[in-house]
Amino acid sequence: MAKAESYSVPQSNVWERLKTFINAELINILAAILFLLLAIFLLYPILAVLIKSIRDPQGLTFAYYLKFFTKGYYFQSLQNTLLLGFINTVICLVVGFCLAYLTTRGPLVLRKPLKIISMMPLIAPPYLFAISLIILFGRNGILTKAFALNWSIYGFTGVVVAQTLAFIPLAYLMIENTLMSLNPNLEESAYDLGASEGRIIRTITIPLLTPGILKAGLLVFVMTIAEFGNAAILGGRTPFLAPDTYTMIIGEADFEMGSVLSVILIIPCIIIFFLHNYLLTGKKFTTIGGKPVASEPRKMTPLVKIPFLVIGFTAVFAIFISFGVVLMASFTKILGVKNEIVFSHILNFDSNRAIYNSIQVSLIAALIGAIIGTLLAYVIVRGKFFGRTFIEMVSLSGFALPGTVIGIGYLLAFNTPPFKLTGGIMILALNCVFRFLAVGVEAGISKLHQINIEIEEASSDLGANFMTTFYKIILPIMFPAFIAGFIYTFMTAIVSLSAVVFLVSPGFELAAVKIFDAAVYGEIGLASATTMKLVAIVVLCMMILNYLTKKTGFDITQKKGV
Amino acid sequence: MKEKLVLSIFVSVFLAVLMGGQVYAQTVKAYMGTSPENNVKIVNFVKEKTGIQILQTFQSFGEIEAKVKSEAPNFNADIIVGCGSPLAFMAKKNKWSVPYDSPNWKGVAPEFIDSDKNWFNIANFSFVLVGNRDKLKEKGYTMPKSWKELTDPKWKDQIVMPSPLSSGTANMIRYAFLALYGEEQGWNFLAALDKNIHHYTRSGNAPTDLVGRGEFLLGITSDENVKKRIDEGYPLLWSIPEEGIGYDGTFALILSGTKMMDACKKIIDVLGTQAFSDMMAGIGYMTPRPAPNALYGKTTPKYIKLDLGWAAENRPKWNDIWKEKFRTEFK
Repeated sequence: MAKAESYSVPQSNVWERLKTFINAELINILAAILFLLLAIFLLYPILAVLIKSIRDPQGLTFAYYLKFFTKGYYFQSLQNTLLLGFINTVICLVVGFCLAYLTTRGPLVLRKPLKIISMMPLIAPPYLFAISLIILFGRNGILTKAFALNWSIYGFTGVVVAQTLAFIPLAYLMIENTLMSLNPNLEESAYDLGASEGRIIRTITIPLLTPGILKAGLLVFVMTIAEFGNAAILGGRTPFLAPDTYTMIIGEADFEMGSVLSVILIIPCIIIFFLHNYLLTGKKFTTIGGKPVASEPRKMTPLVKIPFLVIGFTAVFAIFISFGVVLMASFTKILGVKNEIVFSHILNFDSNRAIYNSIQVSLIAALIGAIIGTLLAYVIVRGKFFGRTFIEMVSLSGFALPGTVIGIGYLLAFNTPPFKLTGGIMILALNCVFRFLAVGVEAGISKLHQINIEIEEASSDLGANFMTTFYKIILPIMFPAFIAGFIYTFMTAIVSLSAVVFLVSPGFELAAVKIFDAAVYGEIGLASATTMKLVAIVVLCMMILNYLTKKTGFDITQKKGV
Repeated sequence: MKEKLVLSIFVSVFLAVLMGGQVYAQTVKAYMGTSPENNVKIVNFVKEKTGIQILQTFQSFGEIEAKVKSEAPNFNADIIVGCGSPLAFMAKKNKWSVPYDSPNWKGVAPEFIDSDKNWFNIANFSFVLVGNRDKLKEKGYTMPKSWKELTDPKWKDQIVMPSPLSSGTANMIRYAFLALYGEEQGWNFLAALDKNIHHYTRSGNAPTDLVGRGEFLLGITSDENVKKRIDEGYPLLWSIPEEGIGYDGTFALILSGTKMMDACKKIIDVLGTQAFSDMMAGIGYMTPRPAPNALYGKTTPKYIKLDLGWAAENRPKWNDIWKEKFRTEFK
């Protein structure tokens, strides 16, 4: 068809018409391309898992599900997983709230150090805490021996503690963000009218924080039940769905049963995702979009301050100690057995390639993720086509999809032609892009809601074509969202294990997987040393990025001022 | 202006990282399942002798088997250096391996090379019993003399062994006991043992480290690293209980569809040399070319009589039984 047309119409004319067409329809073309990408890299893999779980060589079957629900083991596994998810979510939300309150409303001297330590777990693999718990509380652990403790960390409680510490920063970050943009006027007037601080928190702060708390809860729940590093190292014989899925796929190539477990793992996540959406729609929270207003430091009443400080400090202390012992372990020959200072773990360079790959994958993922995220946000907010809400839903579903499931989905979907991607680096990067897309998209959406469409319309009325408008107006406005997406994807991609562990191949190893292997294997020294190297690199990258955003951010505010 | 400079420097470094990648003269991708550190030793040995760089990921034998099965026939690696007998036999049967008549493997005992040159057994390994010297003394226990003693309730939650679902060592442990006691009695023994097992580890060497660090009293573990860990200062005791121990090979084979055939052949050649056997024996393996063994010395340990073909054939069935007995029903 296209060929015939190009014969009948003069070349330049086609080109002109194509240009006007693109200019007018660019947003729809963009939407189509983005939707295609989402369909291939997010929906198709999930579908592949679903199909695998209900098919055997003879055709449709529910035999695998029947097995799941009739065997006590799997049921126990499901029960443990859900219990772990709920306990952890509650603890993380409480601790996260206390910390966020302290760092935004508490004593000024404490704000910065508390904030830094609460965020530390973000830059380390989540199972750092399994390693530190073994060092401290293992059967031959430092504290176990010193105080003759009788706490068995190999089991449910050990996993809960490790997972809680690992995901406190997620809860903290989300709640702190909302708390920062919360206009303190309401709280202050209540205070002036004589309400007690406890009452203000209960009736004003927390209700206004609902969106942040809900989002934090969703994120923590999904991460807790999907990231299986801690459960695999500390679980002992206590079954959890995510590590079981991992053993089934990696150890036994039992893709059918692994898929069933994955589907089961998705269900609670999806329920919570929809619940969260349902609770938020139709309600107006005046705080969102509001400019952060610096709150005047107010004295906290001891009745609130003391419990908050106790909770906050316990968490922060545990996090700090965990990093401390892991650092110590990376310089100790065999911690607890032969406490000599050695440099052999740190100087073991076998993992260099894996670390290099991790940086490369995370950078590619962050770049692609930030671009796609920004474009998606634009299309969702400004587009006027059918199915916009659906696209929004799909792109935000990354919040709710367990990494384990996406990993298996990629393995199933991209192992055979036409989409043969396994055994390369792109599958690792793409996986991270689509798993962590939601943050960039959301940041972009909220940025776009802040500016009036009139600026764009004015620009096009003045004769600027779409590209110019995009480049001169939209891009500068969305740049902070782009950076947010970039940083989040980079940080999560470099330490996350649950999805990529299924996709590494010879030559394309990742540091997070390597550390996990060493830890499972029992080589605590090597695992610790590699963790520390990874942490150092992430910190370095973040510093560079921070410096750059400050520089470029300055640039943008100037442009906006004009 | 300064910002632009900084930004452009950043962008160029960024691009360099993205584009870059270590360039080697010849690289071969391999699945290797010995142990993370022994893998590195083999990689370095091959590189030193041939200049070929092997890119590898460490996985347990069972995991490599699962991976190869799920990838067939589009493998993401060129060669396997270190997998168990079930996969080696399966690969030959399904034509996943490429036969190669290597000149360097002439004159090797038949148990170390396939009659049709499909697989090459680079080293036999076994399992032994390890105990933590200090912790045993603390409790006043001594190392068990026989495997039967491990079922004594006093060891409850004190023994670790690998899981036969992911570990080749554990698969070997299982078929050795099934061969020793006969299938029915063998399963009874494993069930009795299960009551004392704290948990099943993913990798066959993991119990050595866990027991060495004092997390558990006893471990049934691969013999590969025991010598090395003792030398490093772990308070480990090891023994061969009176009934004897089992063994399995560590197999190498070229995967079909490789584009690096010449390099793969060179690797197989190197693996057949006396120097390679010397290195592996120095770690503690029993090698195709006789060499003094680091763990056992010149004596040959007492082996349980085994038929590896029978073991490989029954592995899927036994996995099902194992899952049913020890995993599917929660206790």
